[in-house]
Amino acid sequence: MSDYSITIGTFIAIQAIVACGLNVIVGYAGQISLGHAAFFGIGAYASALLTTAGGLSFWTALPIVLSITGFIGLVLGLPSLRLKEDFLAITTIGINFIVVSVFLYVPFFGGALGIGGIPRVMLFGERLRGTPFFLLCLGFLAAVLLISWLFTRSWSGLACFALREDEAAASSMGVSPVRFKLVAFVLGTAMAGLGGALYAHYMRFISATDFGFPMSIMFLSMVVVGGMGTLWGPVLGALILGVLPEVFRPLTDYRMFLYAALLLLMIRFQPGGLLGETSVARQIFTRLKGGHGR
Amino acid sequence: MQLFLEQLLNGLAIGAIYAMITLGLALVYGILRILHVAHAAVYTVGAYVGLAIFSSTHSLTLAVLGSMAFCAALGVLIERFVYYPLLKYPPYVPLIGSIACLLAIEELCRLVGGPEILPFPANLPFPSFTVGGILISSTLSAVYGISAGVLLLLWFITTKTELGLAMRATSQDRAIASSMGINSHWVISVTFMIGSAVAAIAGILVGIYYNQVYPTMGAVPAYKTLALIVVGGLGSVPGAVLAAVLLGVGETLLIGYAGIPLPRDALAFIAMIAVLLWRPQGLLGGRR
Amino acid sequence: MSEILLSLREVSMHFGGLKALDRVSFDLVEGEILGLIGPNGAGKTTCFNTVSGVYRPTLGEIRFGGIRTDGLPPHRMAALGIGRTFQIVRPFPDLSVIENVIVAMGLPCYRGLFSSCSSWKGRATRERAMELLAKVGLDSLASQKAGMLPLGNLRRLELARALALKPRLLLLDESFSGLRHEEVSRLEELVRQTRKEGISILLIEHNMRVAMGLSDRLVVLDHGQKLTEGSPEEVRKNPEVIRAYLGKGEGGGSNAA
Repeated sequence: MSDYSITIGTFIAIQAIVACGLNVIVGYAGQISLGHAAFFGIGAYASALLTTAGGLSFWTALPIVLSITGFIGLVLGLPSLRLKEDFLAITTIGINFIVVSVFLYVPFFGGALGIGGIPRVMLFGERLRGTPFFLLCLGFLAAVLLISWLFTRSWSGLACFALREDEAAASSMGVSPVRFKLVAFVLGTAMAGLGGALYAHYMRFISATDFGFPMSIMFLSMVVVGGMGTLWGPVLGALILGVLPEVFRPLTDYRMFLYAALLLLMIRFQPGGLLGETSVARQIFTRLKGGHGR
Repeated sequence: MQLFLEQLLNGLAIGAIYAMITLGLALVYGILRILHVAHAAVYTVGAYVGLAIFSSTHSLTLAVLGSMAFCAALGVLIERFVYYPLLKYPPYVPLIGSIACLLAIEELCRLVGGPEILPFPANLPFPSFTVGGILISSTLSAVYGISAGVLLLLWFITTKTELGLAMRATSQDRAIASSMGINSHWVISVTFMIGSAVAAIAGILVGIYYNQVYPTMGAVPAYKTLALIVVGGLGSVPGAVLAAVLLGVGETLLIGYAGIPLPRDALAFIAMIAVLLWRPQGLLGGRR
Repeated sequence: MSEILLSLREVSMHFGGLKALDRVSFDLVEGEILGLIGPNGAGKTTCFNTVSGVYRPTLGEIRFGGIRTDGLPPHRMAALGIGRTFQIVRPFPDLSVIENVIVAMGLPCYRGLFSSCSSWKGRATRERAMELLAKVGLDSLASQKAGMLPLGNLRRLELARALALKPRLLLLDESFSGLRHEEVSRLEELVRQTRKEGISILLIEHNMRVAMGLSDRLVVLDHGQKLTEGSPEEVRKNPEVIRAYLGKGEGGGSNAA
């Protein structure tokens, strides 16, 4: 594989990890989160600071990064998740906005210049770059998918599904709405933090503008396009939306427009996502398999 | 004292413009419960179309009227193509559609109009005058005059006309309004037309006020207006207008008078968080 | 067997100026089927909602199994032993029928950190869920998406879910409305069967024949206040009750099957 493909692949793997986290919040628990990139950023900044100013290695810093991101998710989620849908949507936008503002204006985080000189990840004495780093990211992605899969099989996961379907009914069956929404939220934000840490050590330079609202929409689009609430949906979404701009690259100037137009058409005609149950892709697939209709 | 009053007047003008942009968003939310983020794109298009018409005809009147008509049509197009078919899905679906719309339209503006900041060298045919030693420029009086006129007209339509009654009925309960003979889809489309036309006026005013028209001019209003409808009370149009005016004044006084080094755009979200913590129904929100 | 399981004392529910419940007091004895009846708008579902934790009563006390429970949220009430059905059915539409029931079976696991991490896909869980489905006659539809079921089946699913909680008290909120004749008889039989297994039942019902036939005792509400209580025969002959129903222009047996 060419260097260029590895680069794209690494980005896709990292974004897929973050999208999986968002899928837990939005797809499994049915909560709206339009500020997910904020936690991507928190993970990135935490890992960057711990490994530069803090002198820790990526691996020592990682559990701390996950804890910090999850903890902030808990603190922000507690008041937010009690809000109804539209309030929650706007609040998560606000959270994204404020987190980015903090990164931009509080000098500790490097201000507009961001943080640079982030060291590479060391494994068995090797500085990881290129293909080995890509494989590391794939490894983490596999771990994240495994955790997601186990989550869907756990009582916690089932509780979240129930909340998503009907909160009042779920609550009358012993499912505490706040508790399980928080569980999903913390799990999702921790995954985003993991993605952020990998991103920081890949880019080796980060700044607040990488983590703004447009990025949150990117992640949400990945989850929606791939199929919300499915295991592989976010990965497929990350793949498609990661490859698409590259496909359009020759049309550089029209890239963003085509991307936005495609997203619009996708959501308009296939709101369930490509892996969703009524999707065209699934219908074609079943027909190819031998025509057993639904 | 002079500085305070000058900043107050500036703030009121900015607030009036915010109010005109937020109006469309609040109207749409009231009637469809959808966060019409793409509204900011309509506002941007309004500025561009106004500039284009003005550049070729040198008539501000034609520019305003033409832009209003174009944006009204655009608003209805968005409603019919994106929102109405997606109403039966969970709310994040039309929301993503709206955001995709915003991005696509902004990009179109950039592709058609170019990425540079374009000047809008129009003269607003409004008088300038001095009151108690403070100059009210023609631009300022234009903003006051036009926004007051628009808000008054809207107040009249919603409270005194049958259309307004139909709009209020449809926003309370679409199904029942339908069964009473109101063509609710038509009412919804009219709501979009009105909100979009007003946004066009706001876009032109802003373009002239700052002498700048550029593709991403809708980005910041997109987020601020969202915060504003929460602060005003989700579902309350007068609340949104009030919140908008207060924000305009607040931002300007905070930065221009008190000199507090907060990022100006954060004030809207801070106000929103404060509202959510202490008065979740917003300034004028009530029964919901 | 004659212990008081549920007790309401002076329970009031005010929504602004509206008194949906006004100083309602009654007891439910363990093992009985208590019917809650009254004309439309009398406050019956509001009463249910205060008992199951959806509303916190403005005034008054509710005791369940001796513990004060007014103001506790619904998930705590479920853990204490109250199961309920909903007047407008609330299935989990995208989950299968058997998964709907399994959600309720998770009650013991939801409180603990580790227990909520364990898997629900085990065979024992599935078998017990199938037993419950068989009891209500839905076992053949176990893997159907719940959202596709017709009303009659959805009402039975609600009952299966509530039973899966292993409740001490079952609240049935108009579970018979909208059902066909045979479905009503089948459901009546199920309710009687449930009581035989030791579960007490509080039911709201507009269908007078069902309410009179199933209940050991009745509590009559009107305009948020308790009008009277007593055996079906006593209540049927009570002139105030008759007036309450007829006075609203609604025949007492208007919803009789």
